[in-house]
Amino acid sequence: MVSDIINVENLVKVYPGGTRAVDGISFSVRESEFFGFLGPNGAGKSTTIQVLTTLLKKTSGSVTVAGYDVDTDAREIRKVIGVQRQETILDGDLTGRENLTIQGHLQRLHGTALKKRVDELLALVELSDVADKRAAQYSGGMKKRLDLASTLVHKPRLLFLDEPTSGLDPQSRVAIWEHLETLNSDEGVTVFLTTQQMEEADRLCHRLSILDHGEIVVSGSPVELKHQLGGDTITMSFANSDSGIKDRSKRIVNGIQGVTKVLDVETGLAAYAKNASALVPDIVRLFDENEIRLTSISVASASLDDVFLQHTGRRIRSEELSKVDTWKHYM
Amino acid sequence: MDHDALFDVWHLFIRAGKKTIRTPVIIFGTLALPVLFLVLFTQIFTQFGNLPGFPAGGYVQFATAGIIVLNPLINAQYSGTAVVDDINSGFLSKMLVTPVNRPAILFGRLLNDTIMVLIPAGITLALAYALGVTVITGALGILLILFTAAFFGLSMSGLTMAIGVTTKSAQVVAGLDLVIIFPLMFVSTALVPYEFLPHWAQAFSNVNPFSYAVNAVRALMSTGFDWSTILAAYAVIAVFAAVTIGATLYQFRSVEK
Ligand SMILES: Nc1ncnc2c1ncn2[C@@H]1O[C@H](COP(=O)(O)OP(=O)(O)OP(=O)(O)O)[C@@H](O)[C@H]1O
Ligand SMILES: [Mg+2]
Repeated sequence: MVSDIINVENLVKVYPGGTRAVDGISFSVRESEFFGFLGPNGAGKSTTIQVLTTLLKKTSGSVTVAGYDVDTDAREIRKVIGVQRQETILDGDLTGRENLTIQGHLQRLHGTALKKRVDELLALVELSDVADKRAAQYSGGMKKRLDLASTLVHKPRLLFLDEPTSGLDPQSRVAIWEHLETLNSDEGVTVFLTTQQMEEADRLCHRLSILDHGEIVVSGSPVELKHQLGGDTITMSFANSDSGIKDRSKRIVNGIQGVTKVLDVETGLAAYAKNASALVPDIVRLFDENEIRLTSISVASASLDDVFLQHTGRRIRSEELSKVDTWKHYM
Repeated sequence: MDHDALFDVWHLFIRAGKKTIRTPVIIFGTLALPVLFLVLFTQIFTQFGNLPGFPAGGYVQFATAGIIVLNPLINAQYSGTAVVDDINSGFLSKMLVTPVNRPAILFGRLLNDTIMVLIPAGITLALAYALGVTVITGALGILLILFTAAFFGLSMSGLTMAIGVTTKSAQVVAGLDLVIIFPLMFVSTALVPYEFLPHWAQAFSNVNPFSYAVNAVRALMSTGFDWSTILAAYAVIAVFAAVTIGATLYQFRSVEK
């Protein structure tokens, strides 16, 4: 039997001020799975992580991590998890090496084994050269890498990473992705990751839940989720933004053969179709005939953002849209 | 405490020590204040010693006891500041997701802060000795004087930590010198004999743990093993320390969740 390393049932977290940050979510993560929480700002991702990592008391529901109850066996949980918070947390007065060493000590490691492990991690996050400089003097990205390394000192079975690559340059980001993939595939480390980046979730996660307003909107593997959309995305925006135009346009696009779904988006409409690129000339012609002025039309392969859009009616972040095959000001 | 807890205290003490050593202003303050106080107070107030009714031995002999306990009173703010820093930087929460023994986080810090009390106390004694001050109770007395300073320092650190953990505010801890430290310092027997204090100040001094600590040190320096004064001081400091450190530990549990 494959056991669940994380099991969450009806988790609710209401902050003292009354904010219902997590509103009855249930999910489970299997041993050695790479699991993701994808959601916009304020969705409740960090709150969930804090409850799972024994930092925050839940309001109700049941949570077990590594087979232990968060309320009664927090101590046991802390021995097997590694946690990287969303904010980079280091002791700026200590050097990079000392930061890793103190984390090792807090995990009750010592001696040459710890020394070796620290050197290994410094090399891994490419900080060996600056290992004896104070962390306060590191750049933001270096701090983030050191922080990640400090969560790995004791070789945790289960890693919680709260937006581990936000603020990193593309090169560092890819390096960290590769390392996380190796940890997961070679050493069987279970990873629970939160992100706002579709690309990250898409690449890393075996399975993910999309979170919005404290609730899980949909769960599944990236492929499954995108598959449900039925194809690529065609995004259109219009010169005239009144709702009458939008409704008419929607009817027109809906009538085109091959279109599986049309959704309202802030900037106009999004349509889904298998052979999206081939439909663009038809769409443009039909709008032309109906005297609707398009300002842009673009085609992109369906992304997790589209999944999010489909379930919430909003995009996580508009700038995350991949801009493939764009015909700006086509008309 | 089990073995793991001692291990934790030790490593967190080392961390606190490194942080202290790497903060020049703390080192400078700790080394310079005893000198400054001793020179300043004894220069300014030295004529006091000639007033009728002033304890025998002169002002320097008298004030040294006050200055020895003044350093822990002032240095205690660093304990509160350190806790607030760890809370606000998130480092505390980073420690709390590890199996580290919870009280060890406080005691590692307190161990460092105790050493930071013993150093200026030692400097003050040495300097005072050079100025002709004597310790009537000898080597054992000196040990007890250092112990008194450290014990009092612990209770004061407890106070600033409790306030730091509760308010999580660096400003509040920084403001403690005006609200708590200066009143304790001036309305006490540190720099002025009890008999010279006005009645209201005597009343305050009677409940001021700082005065008790000063009186014990002064007795050890000038009178002898006056156990009633010394034990009274230890009793008062013990109660004060139990309350402040207890409050810190209690508050600490709520930071955790
Ligand atoms: N300590 C707190 N006290 C009160 N409310 C909080 C606290 N922390 C978070 N919240 C609220 O809970 C909700 C969820 O916040 P959370 O930090 O879990 O979101 P998130 O998904 O991690 O967002 P982000 O992507 O911005 O990190 C938000 O409405 C937030 O304002
Ligand atoms: Mg967050």
